Amino acid sequence: MVSLHRDNTVQIAALDARAEALGLKRGMGLADARAMHPSLDVVEADPAGERRLLEALADWCDRYTPLVALDGVDGLFLDVTGCTPLFGGEKPMLDTVLAQFFAQGFDVRAGLASTAGAAWAAARFRGKLVVAPGAERELLAPLPPQALRLEKPVCAGLDSVGLRSVDEIMAAPRAPLARRFGRELLIRLDQALGRVDEAVSPRLPVPALVVERQLAEPVVLTEDVERLVQMLATALKADLDRRGEGARRLELSLFRVDGAVSRIAISTSLALRDPWKIRNLFRERLAAIVSDFDAGYGFDLARLSAFSTEPFDVRQTGLAGEAGAAEDDLALFADRVRARLGAGAMMQPVAVESHIPERAVALRPFAGKLPHGGGQRVPQPLLPERPVRLFGRPEPVEVPATELPEGPPMRFRWRRALHSVVRAEGPERIAPEWWRNGEEAPERDYYRVEDSEGRRYWLYRLGHHEAGKPPPRWFMHGLFA
Amino acid sequence: MASCAVARDAVFALRREIARIEGTLPQRLDTPGATDDAGDAARLRIGVAGFDRLLGGGLARAALTEIHGHETRECGSVSGFALALASLLLEQAKEPGPVLWVGMSEVFREAGFPHATGGQALSGIAPERLLIAEAARIADVLWVTEEAIPLQRLAAVVVEVRGNPDKLDLTATRRLHRRAQAAGRPVLLLRQAAQAQATAAPVRLVVSPAPSTPRHTFAGPLEASIGRPAFTVSVDKCPAALPGLFTLEWNPDECLFTERANPEIRAANPVAVVSLSGGRTDIAPAAGQVVAFSKKGASGAGGQPASRQHGADRGPRRTG
Repeated sequence: MVSLHRDNTVQIAALDARAEALGLKRGMGLADARAMHPSLDVVEADPAGERRLLEALADWCDRYTPLVALDGVDGLFLDVTGCTPLFGGEKPMLDTVLAQFFAQGFDVRAGLASTAGAAWAAARFRGKLVVAPGAERELLAPLPPQALRLEKPVCAGLDSVGLRSVDEIMAAPRAPLARRFGRELLIRLDQALGRVDEAVSPRLPVPALVVERQLAEPVVLTEDVERLVQMLATALKADLDRRGEGARRLELSLFRVDGAVSRIAISTSLALRDPWKIRNLFRERLAAIVSDFDAGYGFDLARLSAFSTEPFDVRQTGLAGEAGAAEDDLALFADRVRARLGAGAMMQPVAVESHIPERAVALRPFAGKLPHGGGQRVPQPLLPERPVRLFGRPEPVEVPATELPEGPPMRFRWRRALHSVVRAEGPERIAPEWWRNGEEAPERDYYRVEDSEGRRYWLYRLGHHEAGKPPPRWFMHGLFA
Repeated sequence: MASCAVARDAVFALRREIARIEGTLPQRLDTPGATDDAGDAARLRIGVAGFDRLLGGGLARAALTEIHGHETRECGSVSGFALALASLLLEQAKEPGPVLWVGMSEVFREAGFPHATGGQALSGIAPERLLIAEAARIADVLWVTEEAIPLQRLAAVVVEVRGNPDKLDLTATRRLHRRAQAAGRPVLLLRQAAQAQATAAPVRLVVSPAPSTPRHTFAGPLEASIGRPAFTVSVDKCPAALPGLFTLEWNPDECLFTERANPEIRAANPVAVVSLSGGRTDIAPAAGQVVAFSKKGASGAGGQPASRQHGADRGPRRTG
């Protein structure tokens, strides 16, 4: 038996058949139940855990259809439109689903119907049932109004006016019903009868293309998974070819025998079709996650989904050689690095309109695109003097308090080593961007200094000397060549 | 007579072939003047006669080249030197491609991130053409590098590590070198704060900063200004097996190296221009003061190694 805190009391949230036989009911106070039967075994409810379990089950149900939605805290909607022939028809499919849930130790009720509302009613009130198209009315007629997925107050209202079955609701005039109980009642009724379309919003985005493979014998080895990816990618290529597209984002779903689902996603800089390249990308990804990739007893279903596709321009190879191949190689290389080491592993600096040194260059993930034209040399006077190495976070530098209030320091201590400045250039004053940091932010005075060993540093002083205030601090921001 | 000459030609051709395969061209050392003017497509000429001659006509294009720095704070010079070499490569390339800079996260954290604007000011490489790959582990750094070397589009691959990681041994460098040879691509291995170690790279340079000369103006040198970047480059290992020490100055405007004619131009500066010894044993002199312990104290610290026996990673952290 499971207890739950609700409305300041502890109530029974769920109970098994034996407890039901003792005359206990859901919603009953736990104290009352204990008074009746002191030997009850009570477990506290764990809504978060139940939610996780339901989501795991939803993941597992992905094997039947990509359109799986959660229904409340204890139900799942599966939109199996077009999927039933794969399982031999509607009834066999329902049997398969129930048998597989039973094998996992779940007591499941299921219904299959042309509308979501009718299937819901069949599952909750009738148990295992396939409702033929057009038979929704016969199914719903004898059922209580709760079968229409209505809120509690609406049901209570219907009960109080004597409408105790769906049949009676259907017979009643619609306008007064809508006025009294709100539009929801009629919408639910129409949805259940198929007069109004109802969209089941899936939990996960629905891929553009899916290929999958059921395996008679579960696979465990990573090499086998890679081979499987290539087989799936070969099947996917035919579909992509037909659409004239290539995949940009791919996901491999591996359904483990015990119900767990691993999803491995990759994205590419260029539209991709070649099975071998797809396999290579997944190989890098699998190599990277090898530590938390648990095959358990093996995978019995593998699915490759293409979530986003792009037109794939088939390039004609010239007789002289392949012009664009080198650039593609670079993009593929970047994809592989990213698949293995994470999205931030391969970056391309891009100059940005900002005079703050650390913001002047933005790092973007390299997408395989290089600026056209050769590496023209920019006239030097146009470029400011900037260090070749820049510290992401400027490091504090100790400058003795005896220093002159203006100008570069004579000596400074950085990383515990004392450096004496032989020559210095500056200051270059860089004001903060007031639209970002506010107008009160202190300015930086940058100095280029060279120490006695010839090392060149980029130092700055934050703010100015002012009477009655602590002296400004110094920071090391970069190293010059 | 004629057949004899033909046979001799054949022998010479074979010898040249063997030398090419081995990566050494001994005949260059015999007649340095002959190749200096002709140039060689397989070699990158630095533009400093003595330096090029020592390297056998320039830096091999299809090879791994190690560039060492003594300390992390000298990383600016090492990176600058590498960027200057990349700039020379791009200058001489027909179709300049991007440069890939592969670094360990540790280096980027300790020595700063390569700053594309600064790199452009120094070498003229546009920010978009400097691709940066970052990996936390040395194994991943080597993997990225090995995968990148065969890519036709890249002009050069720069690998940056710090210290002497165990995984970067003779075998690892040989793998990189062989791949570089097969792909015909220069690979520069920057090792910050590292000690000399067995390496398969034919050339190892030790780069440290050299005090700069003042800026030149129409009115003569500008007092107390910092001019062009200067490097003290020590040729630690090269096929000719001759040590060499050069003070090179990089001209970012014209993209060329010049050897400093008179190293004592900064005579007013009391510090020695050359900061390292030519030999190999004593390359990381301690910056601190050597203090003599009393005999009693020395025996008390029996288990402690002498300060010089600390690992390379301790080198750059010494206090002044």
